[in-house]
Amino acid sequence: MTRFPDFRLNLALVALLLALALASLAIGPAALSPRTVFDALMTGDGVPGLIVREIRLPRTLLALAIGGTLGLSGAALQGLVRNPLAEPALFGAPQAAAAAASFVIAFGFFPATSFAVPFAAIAGALVSIGGLVAIAGRRASLTVTLLAGLALASFAGAATALALNLAPNPFAAIEIAFWLLGSLQDRSSEHLYLATPFLALGCVLMALNARAFRALTLGEDAATSLGVNVDMVRLRVVIGVALGVGAAVAVVGAIGFVGLVAPHLVRRAVGSDPARVMLPGALAGAALLLAADIAVRLVPGPVEIKLGVVTALIGVPFFLVMIFAERRALQGSAS
Amino acid sequence: MTMLRAERIDVVLHGRAIVSDASVTLRPGELTALVGPNGAGKTTLMRALAGLLPANGSIRLKDRPLADFTLRERARSIAYLPQGNVFHWPLDVAAVVALGRHPHADPFSPLTGTDRAAVAHALAAAQIEDLAERIVTTLSGGERARVALARVLATEADILFADEPTASLDPRHQLVVMDLLRGIARRGGAVLAIIHDLGLAARFADRVLVMQRGRIVADAAPREALSDARLADVFGIAVAQVDSGDGVMPVPLRPV
Repeated sequence: MTRFPDFRLNLALVALLLALALASLAIGPAALSPRTVFDALMTGDGVPGLIVREIRLPRTLLALAIGGTLGLSGAALQGLVRNPLAEPALFGAPQAAAAAASFVIAFGFFPATSFAVPFAAIAGALVSIGGLVAIAGRRASLTVTLLAGLALASFAGAATALALNLAPNPFAAIEIAFWLLGSLQDRSSEHLYLATPFLALGCVLMALNARAFRALTLGEDAATSLGVNVDMVRLRVVIGVALGVGAAVAVVGAIGFVGLVAPHLVRRAVGSDPARVMLPGALAGAALLLAADIAVRLVPGPVEIKLGVVTALIGVPFFLVMIFAERRALQGSAS
Repeated sequence: MTMLRAERIDVVLHGRAIVSDASVTLRPGELTALVGPNGAGKTTLMRALAGLLPANGSIRLKDRPLADFTLRERARSIAYLPQGNVFHWPLDVAAVVALGRHPHADPFSPLTGTDRAAVAHALAAAQIEDLAERIVTTLSGGERARVALARVLATEADILFADEPTASLDPRHQLVVMDLLRGIARRGGAVLAIIHDLGLAARFADRVLVMQRGRIVADAAPREALSDARLADVFGIAVAQVDSGDGVMPVPLRPV
C-alpha cells in the first residue's frame, strides 16, 4: 500500500466535482457561459455576479457539503454494521431529524433559519441512530438492525404527520410539506453558515474511524483484540451521523439514499476496503447530490421537482437491485 | 517467569456463572491446549483472559495487572484468533493479514517496512503466499482458516490465543497449523489453543487444561490430563490410548 492508495480515483472524482460545480453555477433560469461564470465569481459585478455569488454559489456549496456528508454517513454506518446495505434513511435518521425539525417549524418558536432547527434535527437524528445502535446491540445482526430502523422510521413518520396535523395554520403545514420533500432551491449563504459547522464536525467524527472499520472486518472481538475501542467507535459514528444528517435535513429537508448509492459506486475501485471507501464515497456523494440538483433545474416545467424526490426515485430502485444482487448472501445471514 | 497468570477467574454472563474459579498460567515456550465438551466455558475463559469480557479475579500480563494496559499495548502482547474465521468485507488476503499490524501502526501512516516484513513472514508461515491477492470471501474454509491464522501471526505478539484453529481444516492442514503453533511456542511465545481433537492436543501440546462445567479439572502434561478415567468423566467417552510413535494419544472409541 502506498501513501495515497486511491490517488487517481480521488483525483478523478475531484475533477468531476469541479466540472459539476461549474455547470451548477452556469445552469438556471438565466443561462450563463463558463466565461461569464468565472468573471462573475471573481468580481461579483453586475447581475451575473449577483446570480452566481448570492444564489448559485451557496446552493452549489451546500450540495457539495451535504452530498459529501451523506456519502460519508453511509460509508460510516456501513463500516460500523459491516454491511453494504446500511444507509441513514433505512435507519430512520433523516425521518427522525425531519420530525423534530417539523415540530420546531410548525409551532414557529423560532425563525426557520435559526440554529433551533438544526439543533432539533440533530437531536432527532441522535435519538434515532442511538436508539437503533442500542437495539441492534453488539452483534448488529442485519435483520434486527433493519427491523429496528423500519420501526424508528415509521415512528418518525407518524411524529411528522402529527406535527403537520397540529400545525397552527395551513401555511405552516404547507411549508413543512415542501421542506420535507428536500430541496436546495432558494438556499442562501445563511443556510451554508448554519449547516457547515455541524457537517464538518460530523465528518471529522466519522472519518476518525476509518482504520477501525477495517479492523471490524474481523468482527468486534477480533477488532477489540487488535486495540480498537469498539464502544468509542460506535459512539463517534452515532454522533457523527446524527450531526451530519441532522444538519443536512435542517437545511435541505429529507434527502435519502445518497449514503447507500455513493459508497457502492466506488467500493469496487478500493477493493471493498471500508476505510479506503470513505473519501471517494464522500466525493461520490457530493457529485451525486450536485448532479441531482443540476438535473432538477434542467427539467422543464413550471414547478421544480424536489431534490429529495429525485434521490428517492433513483435510490430506491437502486436499493432493490442491490438486494437482488445480494439475495443469496442475505438469506445466509438472516438468522 | 510467566507471560500471563490468571487466578481464580469467575465470569458471569446474563446471571449465569460460565467460568468458575479458573486459574491459568501461560509460560513462554509452551503450547497449552484447552479441551472440554461443548458448553464447558472454554471460549468464555479465553475471551476473559484476553480482556474481552469482564471477569472477577486477577489477571496479570508480564507481572502487571491486565487492566493497567491500554488497549493498544494489550493488543501488541496478546493476539486473539476467534472461532469461525469471519470476514465481513471481501478484502484481499494481503489486506486481511495486514490487519494484524493494527496495534503497531501509526493511525496516519501506511505500513512501514517492518510491517510489510511481518506480513510477508506471516503469509509464508501459514503457507498462503500464493493466495495473497485472492479475495478472502471466495476462499475455501481451510484457506480462510489459514488466512485468519496468518493475521494473528502478523501481530508478532508473544501471547497467542486461538479458538479452534484447526476446525474445518483437512488433516494435512491441521498438522501444518499445529506445527506452526508449536513453532511459535518454541521461539519463546506462549500459546493457548482450544482444540477439540484430543489426538492433536496430546501430540502437540506441552500442557493440557481440561474444562468441565466452567471449571478447570486438570492442568497437566497431556498423558496425565487426558487419562482414560478423566476422559470418561469429562467427555463421557471410552478411548484407546494409541502409541503413534510420536507420543501416546487418545482415540475416542464410543460414548459411555
